[in-house]
Amino acid sequence: MTERLRDIVRRTSQHLRSNARLINYYWQRTQRNKLAVFGLAFIIFLVLLAAIGPFFTLDPTAVNFEEKNMPPVGFTIEQSVYNIETDEFTTKEIPGTWKHPLGTDSKGRDMLAMIVSGARVSLQVGLIATGIAIILGTIIGVMSAYLGGWADNALMRFTDVMMTFPFFLLLVLIVFIFGPSLVFIVLAIGLTGWTGTARLIRSEALSLRTREFVIAAKALGASDNRVIFRHLIPNVISLIIIIATLSIPGVILAEAALSFIGLGDPTVSSWGIILEAGQTSLNTAWWVAVEPGIMLFLTVLAFNFLGDGLRDAFDPKSNM
Amino acid sequence: MGRSWLRDYIIKRLLYSVIIACGILTITFVLVRVGPSSPADKYLANIAARGQDVSQVIAAIEARYGVDKPIFQQYADYMGNLFRGNWGWSFSTSMPVIELIKTHWIYSFQLILLSSLFAAFLGVLIGIYSAVKQYTKVDYAFTFFSFIGISIPNFWLGIMLILVFSVRLGLFKTYYDTTLPLFSLDNLKALVLPVITLGTGMLAGYVRYTRSAMLDNLRKAFVTTARAKGLPERTVIGKHVFRNALLPLVTIIMFDLGSIVFGGAYLTEIIFGIPGLGQISFNAIFANDYPVVVAVTIIGTFIVLLVNLVTDVTYTYLDPRIRYD
Amino acid sequence: MDNIILKVSSLKTYFFTRRGIVKAVDGVNFELRRGECLCLVGESGCGKTVTALSILRLFDSPPGKIVDGQISYDSLDLAECSSKQLRQIRGKDIAIVFQEAQSALNPVLTIGDQIIEQIKLHLPLDHGKARDRAMTLLNEMGIPSAEGVMSYYPHQLSGGMKQRVLIAMSLSCNPQILIADEPTTAVDVTIKAQILDIFRELKARRQMSTIFITHDLAVVAEIGDRAVVMYGGKDVETAPVSEIISNPKHPYTSGLIECLPDVSKTADRLASIPGTTPNPLEMPQGCAFHPRCPKATKICRQQEPSEIIISKEHKVSCHLYT
Repeated sequence: MTERLRDIVRRTSQHLRSNARLINYYWQRTQRNKLAVFGLAFIIFLVLLAAIGPFFTLDPTAVNFEEKNMPPVGFTIEQSVYNIETDEFTTKEIPGTWKHPLGTDSKGRDMLAMIVSGARVSLQVGLIATGIAIILGTIIGVMSAYLGGWADNALMRFTDVMMTFPFFLLLVLIVFIFGPSLVFIVLAIGLTGWTGTARLIRSEALSLRTREFVIAAKALGASDNRVIFRHLIPNVISLIIIIATLSIPGVILAEAALSFIGLGDPTVSSWGIILEAGQTSLNTAWWVAVEPGIMLFLTVLAFNFLGDGLRDAFDPKSNM
Repeated sequence: MGRSWLRDYIIKRLLYSVIIACGILTITFVLVRVGPSSPADKYLANIAARGQDVSQVIAAIEARYGVDKPIFQQYADYMGNLFRGNWGWSFSTSMPVIELIKTHWIYSFQLILLSSLFAAFLGVLIGIYSAVKQYTKVDYAFTFFSFIGISIPNFWLGIMLILVFSVRLGLFKTYYDTTLPLFSLDNLKALVLPVITLGTGMLAGYVRYTRSAMLDNLRKAFVTTARAKGLPERTVIGKHVFRNALLPLVTIIMFDLGSIVFGGAYLTEIIFGIPGLGQISFNAIFANDYPVVVAVTIIGTFIVLLVNLVTDVTYTYLDPRIRYD
Repeated sequence: MDNIILKVSSLKTYFFTRRGIVKAVDGVNFELRRGECLCLVGESGCGKTVTALSILRLFDSPPGKIVDGQISYDSLDLAECSSKQLRQIRGKDIAIVFQEAQSALNPVLTIGDQIIEQIKLHLPLDHGKARDRAMTLLNEMGIPSAEGVMSYYPHQLSGGMKQRVLIAMSLSCNPQILIADEPTTAVDVTIKAQILDIFRELKARRQMSTIFITHDLAVVAEIGDRAVVMYGGKDVETAPVSEIISNPKHPYTSGLIECLPDVSKTADRLASIPGTTPNPLEMPQGCAFHPRCPKATKICRQQEPSEIIISKEHKVSCHLYT
């Protein structure tokens, strides 16, 4: 088993090395799109943030009511504090401090720490759920194209049915039935988001079979294996990369949306959950709603820029 | 060329839709039954609170919901009930699910309709303009904004709009007022923020699709022919290019309806307190009132199915290349 | 000299692209006389199509621009006149027919729609009369059952039919000049013969002044009166067709003539001009043809040749004749 795995890894790296020039070519083209580069840079920053950030921030779960509802650095907010002894409200001006650069929430938890740990959650969910969806979609797509006939028909009808379900409604239903734990959420997203991928992969696989360069390769005597590895797979890989990059934001948003309406995993502090809490304190602590939203927005934007740039780079018809 | 060809196609397509519909209902059924909690479990909390004998109640509930019958019987009952309009009882609101739907669907409908019109109208116009003025600053600006539009989480946008316009500026109320008559100007005003929330994402998408469809056609040979005839530029773009761009555009827009609109509408209703189908589904979730949740899911799916059918037939009818094959 | 209906002088059309300036047309001169068929000949990329497009300013305008020259028609300079004036001339006084008939027609409009649209734009006819006129034209072009064809869509017609429709459409408002851009290139041999017949008839019956663009000298020999040979965006030789064939002066022209396969002789290889068309972004110094010219000399590498008048009707741009 490990033998085969090692074999596949070896083949793939051999592949990548021999295609280094091709990869470099695509990378050059991608680079020319400044927005795509910004997107990539932001994503790398986010990954670093998620990976090593938690070591540098305060404990996101540390509750401290003394320091609740503090604004971010540079802002000041008025808070009414009830004084038991004098039985009256006094308004105090609470400024933001560098101890809590992004402020605190209604329970005194540090916003920066929560945002950083939220990054971790969002990225994990994004990668794993997208991974599931793409693997599932690719398998179904390739099988459908390869088997053809009756099996192809059945699989495609099933895909049609699943595609008709509005993604979010189905997601809500599944999470409602099975419970809002992170594992189920990730699984649910993965198991409902594969349909687009399946369709695209299937059509690509079908068209590749009859494309001239494949027929040419066969005419020159290439074996089936060689055709598959050297010709088909590289073309499909670029498609998969693009699909993945453009699916991740949707997945991250789906998890955030679920958390936002209360169907998220309460033991985890994802950006969506922070946003949900922020909704009720718009008046008193607007930053609790604004900050996770900005992070979500920038993350989705970054992936969209990158995905779009990759798509242009891989499209032979676009002149760059 | 007779119209019987079209009729045959419609019939074929309808049959296919029926098959898909059955598939949808089956999957929903499977999901509900496969779920870890039976309807009885979800009621247990309430029962325990009332101090009745738990096991008897469970048996009664299971009999009432038919969970004790064999699975095929359940399936048959389920399908039969659905078709007869018996969609179950909502115990959180104490009325038949179908009644609940009847009173609330209009709110979702007006929200989605207004948002779609706003997004489609504006989006197509901007997209055409952007394509015609490709590589200019205006085009870059619009493209950039459309990226932003599709990237903004719409639930966050809703909250931000409330924060700025309702809380800080006091221009709009924070919650939707259900006492307003539907066809009043006040109602329209109350819908401004929700429509912007739901419509922005759609708008950005439409701008991109229209622009891309127009660009695909702007460099084609027949456009030069049209100019060579001496036609004014606005006719060339508006009549010749746009008609060609319209076909794939219509398809993309309609097919996208399912994935984006319903999810977005769900969230928008919750944020603004609009009592549409999304809101009642949401309330039902927290009351463990599952028939409502299932019903809303099915309705959403069926609407998508219907829209797909209509789009498919319309597209086939409009594209002369398919028509006369 | 009022026999001249169109005069192109020192026309330069450049395309300002991100990769550099493409000098597609770099100093072209010719005149079209009333009733004649003038052929613009050259390999792909020599600038003949852009020249044709420039006459009606139909090239894509953000990258393309007429940077110099004049196009004199009917006391107007088409290179400078307003869009409004240009639009009145397009399709009415000067008409153009493109080569790719497959894509030159709008796929979602009927043939009838497309022809009638043009008629009603320029002529004060009501819909019924416009329709009749369109059908008459289709008949004239040899299209059977014109009435049926009017409600067809382009994809329902064969290549040859589409080309005829295009020609009919261009004639719909009785233009003075017809520009045909390689109408016989993308069609097979039988259709080619039919189309050439149509052009011959046009000349005979309507005394149509035509600019016929082609890369095929054989076609030029068949229907041209005079020919302008183009290379690298410039006109290199101009002469009546009989002169060009029997007495070519420019090495490129001779090369083209040699390339015509002669069925009466046997040969091991088909003759061709060595080398390839120059990259418009990097034109050679001096005479654009010198890298491929069998008679190139030192001066050809350094200086662009100027126009030499060989005889009243024959001009050449080549250092051989200074």
